[in-house]
Amino acid sequence: MTIIWGGLALGAVYALVAIGYNIVFISSKTFNFAQAQLMMVGTFVAYTGLVTLRLPVAVVVLLATAAVTLVAAVEERLAVRPVEDPETVLVTTLGAGVLINGLTQVVWGGQPLAVPFFGGDGVLELLGGRVYPVEIALVAVAVALVVLFGWFARRSVTGLTLLAMAEDREAAMLRGVDVRRLAFGAFAASGALAGLLGVFVGPKTFAVATLGASLALKGFVVMAIGGFGSMPGTLVGGMVVGLAEALAARHLGSEFAAISVFAVLIAILLVRPSGLFVRTRERLV
Amino acid sequence: MTMGLWRGLRALPTWTVPVLCAAVLLLLPAFGLGFSATRQIQLACILALLVSGLNLSLGYAGELALGQAAMYAFGAYTAGLLSVAGHTDIVLQLAAAGLAVLVVGVLTGMVGLRLGSWSLAMTSFFLVLIVPDVLAVFDDRTGGRNGLSGILGPTLFGRPLGPTEIYLVIAVVLVAWFAVMRNIVTSRHGVALRVLKQSPVLASSMGISVFRMKLLAYALGAIPAGLAGALFANLDLYVSPEAFGFVLATTILAAAILGGVTSVYGALAGAAIMQFGPNQSSRFQEFALVFTGAFLIIGGVLLRGGLAGPARRAVARLDRAAGIRPRPGAGAAEAAVPRIRGTELVVDGVSKSFGGNRALDGVSFRAEPGRVTALIGPNGSGKTTLLNMVCGFYRTDSGRILLDGARLDGAAAHRVSRAGVARTFQTPSVPDGVTVLEAVAAGRYSADRVSVLSAVLRLPRFRRARRADVAEAERMLALVGMAELRDEPASSLPLGMRRLLEVARSLAASPGVLLLDEAASGLDEDEVERLAELIRRIRRAGGTVVLVEHNFRLVLDLADDIVVLAHGQVVAHGPPAEIETNPRVLAEYLGATEEVS
Amino acid sequence: MTDESPDASPRKPVLRARGLATGYGDLRVVWDVSLDVWPGELTVLLGRNGAGKTSTLRALAGLNKASGGTVELDGADVTRTPAHRRVRRGLAYVQEGKRVFHRRTVEQNLIVGGCTRRMSRSALRGEADRIYEIFPVLGEKRNVLAGDMSGGQQQMLAIGQALMAAPKALMLDEPSGGLAPVIVAQVMEQVARLTEHGIGVLLVEQALEASVRVADHIVVLDMGRVLVGVRKDEVDDIATLREAYFGRRAGRPPEHAPTEP
Repeated sequence: MTIIWGGLALGAVYALVAIGYNIVFISSKTFNFAQAQLMMVGTFVAYTGLVTLRLPVAVVVLLATAAVTLVAAVEERLAVRPVEDPETVLVTTLGAGVLINGLTQVVWGGQPLAVPFFGGDGVLELLGGRVYPVEIALVAVAVALVVLFGWFARRSVTGLTLLAMAEDREAAMLRGVDVRRLAFGAFAASGALAGLLGVFVGPKTFAVATLGASLALKGFVVMAIGGFGSMPGTLVGGMVVGLAEALAARHLGSEFAAISVFAVLIAILLVRPSGLFVRTRERLV
Repeated sequence: MTMGLWRGLRALPTWTVPVLCAAVLLLLPAFGLGFSATRQIQLACILALLVSGLNLSLGYAGELALGQAAMYAFGAYTAGLLSVAGHTDIVLQLAAAGLAVLVVGVLTGMVGLRLGSWSLAMTSFFLVLIVPDVLAVFDDRTGGRNGLSGILGPTLFGRPLGPTEIYLVIAVVLVAWFAVMRNIVTSRHGVALRVLKQSPVLASSMGISVFRMKLLAYALGAIPAGLAGALFANLDLYVSPEAFGFVLATTILAAAILGGVTSVYGALAGAAIMQFGPNQSSRFQEFALVFTGAFLIIGGVLLRGGLAGPARRAVARLDRAAGIRPRPGAGAAEAAVPRIRGTELVVDGVSKSFGGNRALDGVSFRAEPGRVTALIGPNGSGKTTLLNMVCGFYRTDSGRILLDGARLDGAAAHRVSRAGVARTFQTPSVPDGVTVLEAVAAGRYSADRVSVLSAVLRLPRFRRARRADVAEAERMLALVGMAELRDEPASSLPLGMRRLLEVARSLAASPGVLLLDEAASGLDEDEVERLAELIRRIRRAGGTVVLVEHNFRLVLDLADDIVVLAHGQVVAHGPPAEIETNPRVLAEYLGATEEVS
Repeated sequence: MTDESPDASPRKPVLRARGLATGYGDLRVVWDVSLDVWPGELTVLLGRNGAGKTSTLRALAGLNKASGGTVELDGADVTRTPAHRRVRRGLAYVQEGKRVFHRRTVEQNLIVGGCTRRMSRSALRGEADRIYEIFPVLGEKRNVLAGDMSGGQQQMLAIGQALMAAPKALMLDEPSGGLAPVIVAQVMEQVARLTEHGIGVLLVEQALEASVRVADHIVVLDMGRVLVGVRKDEVDDIATLREAYFGRRAGRPPEHAPTEP
């Protein structure tokens, strides 16, 4: 059970990355490769705020949110908006991710930094397994975000326009939606989310410069399993990936963790090419 | 003076400059390069091989494959393990490495490509990530994370190779691969790849199997990576998982973007920049990622087409300044439609629904050789849907489609095309970076099959097919009155010309059935007349023509049979004289109703 | 239909184009189009396929850049105004092909249609009730996914969605496309009634007679230029319109033109 808790928490981290991907994907049908790197910046800012400057948690959360929103906004302006086709956006956002990776290494160095969790680090006994408070928090935050997003998308006018824009950009423009502003807003929001989550993710993963590359890929795998654009899909996808990784590492050895995730991904996609939560539609010519 | 020099330079065959560069590369050791300069050049060559393979899949097939670093690792470990086992012959190692990555490429490509869109990017990127794990699983052989040591020095036919000879081996492999790459890209397969990148729909309607073509490009692109790996293993005599990680994967991509992904030689420039730029600055090692990232953004945002883009424009500008024009089309005078073996197309009770909307409801008609069958009806009546069903883009819900009695429904689009059904599209799509002649010749892709191998080796069979392609394409261009445009870039044509280009391309395959989807819309007066005359000649030559058209006059003028569709059903069917007085047709199609006087 | 009095008060067109030119990239499709849409009146835009009708609408809506000429909306020059701002200023455009949001319900579609009005969701639901009065079938199906409705219902939804923005001018591109004749008549009737609310309507149609019947003004395009631009009461012979509509250049003498039934 301890393994399962660990796997679920890890899966929640991946799901959080995938939620960020999805926000950008839904709003502009592009894929922000640098999402995981944004989250990584969040963990570093959390470290600096909590450990180096010893600021109160609320201040650190605000600081991290503001900082990463800014980074995301700059990324959108420089690497996403000037580019037209989504294929090239993949390249430029990958570039932004690599750039952010390099800069964090320059600023914070290559060593993993431990980020303390504000909710304490005492081990709890839950359903016959040992679990850290941060692990429970991660799962709770991921579920809460998905529920919140579902509510926002269907219950608010802005959310509805976002979904409409996702379906048909031009038609949305003709209903008076400022698609560029909305897409920018969504991009910045995904950055804000990444910053906000730094204080939750950092304690689980450490703040480390190699975090970006592996989170980016796992986040994508989660998205591919759940289906592009599906928020509930991120939860299921995260659970599958997290558990596969944790169980494989426990029973087969750590070198099988990534390999088994790869195997699971391929198995699921061979059966459901567009993910678990997205229906395939007939191609239109 | 300088212009004269330029004219002289341009009069040389196009392979002159690359051959000269290759000669210089091979002769460099004679100038007594230092150890570090030699090593940098060798590493740049190895990087160029990796980049060139990526160009084939990303630039030409349009699939972002990030797995070159993993292929590189497979190649390096294949060579390294062979060497440790005592097989030190460099040729053997190169062959084994190339073969190993080809197998890995086909396997991973089959999975990644079947899933479409970004899946290949991710599955191939995942390959890079699991390399250290896979090595760790077999750590008794590979040394796991500690790396594989004990690789012996390479030999050639039993003779050990010195540093200069190793340099020569690397240079020869590089030159050979670029020759192969050039031959692929300039062959009909290269044109087919560009068509595919522009529009998979168009490609499959021309008989190109989208899946197989992409797989081919991806798997072939893995080969230079495997070769590069084998070379690297023999250069350092030590390989470890760290050499093949995320940083390398992004460096390869950055070099490709910088050099220009749709170019053959851009890979050299991109690799050189990355090797002598970020990779070199050991003092700024920590800034290497920053540079790579910045290059990716700048390359993606500013340099559309990489360095190859401005280079091509500069050549074009110099050409104009020096007054060099493309050769006028030769032998364009003769333009008769050859005898066509038309086939009979039968559509029998075909129905199709999308969601809740019934697009087609029990449609039947017959198109016969030597006749023009027109499909008319208001917008949204199902004409184009019907064409798409015939062409295999949609599956029928019920009913049959027969070509000379053989079932056609259920066949994939490229198979329908190979069975002899050619079509044009409402919105003509023309691939980037090919000439008018090449675009038309591409229509013959499924007519004569020529293997990639014979294109690479320029075998007689390839040369024969190429001559036939050119001759046939020239004749088709003459038929549509565009002979003088043969060397223009196809994408520069105005709409009317693009339509005629599409007609010429579909005719080039000598199709049994020719489907024209609104071929006359957007044409000017002359062009409509030219098209009408061409259709009459195809009919006389025995072709089966199906015409979807809005221009009612043109239809009355050309068609032998008219099928009127409305709301997915056939509402009238007959010769023009009957259709133009049919009250139901007037009501449905022309919007005339009894009350209006 | 409406009582026309051109001399009463200095009436201003709600939408006006002067010398409009546009195209796609280097390809110019519309060369010189001038037309007016008057409040409470219906202007029908006719022309062969490829004559430039849809491109004209796209340029008026701001989806395509005008490479020449001007567009005025309610007296203000909007030639360089982005598409979504034109909507906020009162220009609605219903594109060809029933482009509603298929994965959203009828009511959600209507709410998105009203997003420019800075109203709360519940206020917008109130607005939607007014649309249900015009198109009762939408009210019955308010919680049905738009993609699951029939073509005619989707067309009504598309129009209703545009009306949610309370437009001054409404452009409709082939609302009858792909619909059965009975439905075409219904849609046309609804379109004609829109002018009663004071909206200026610009209608692109293929169904020649059906649309001319409800029109106040008729504009015929050919090769991206205005061929005919008249008030309906100036048209004495519908055959001349038909001549213009089907194009005179198809290489067939006039006696083969379809005759009146």
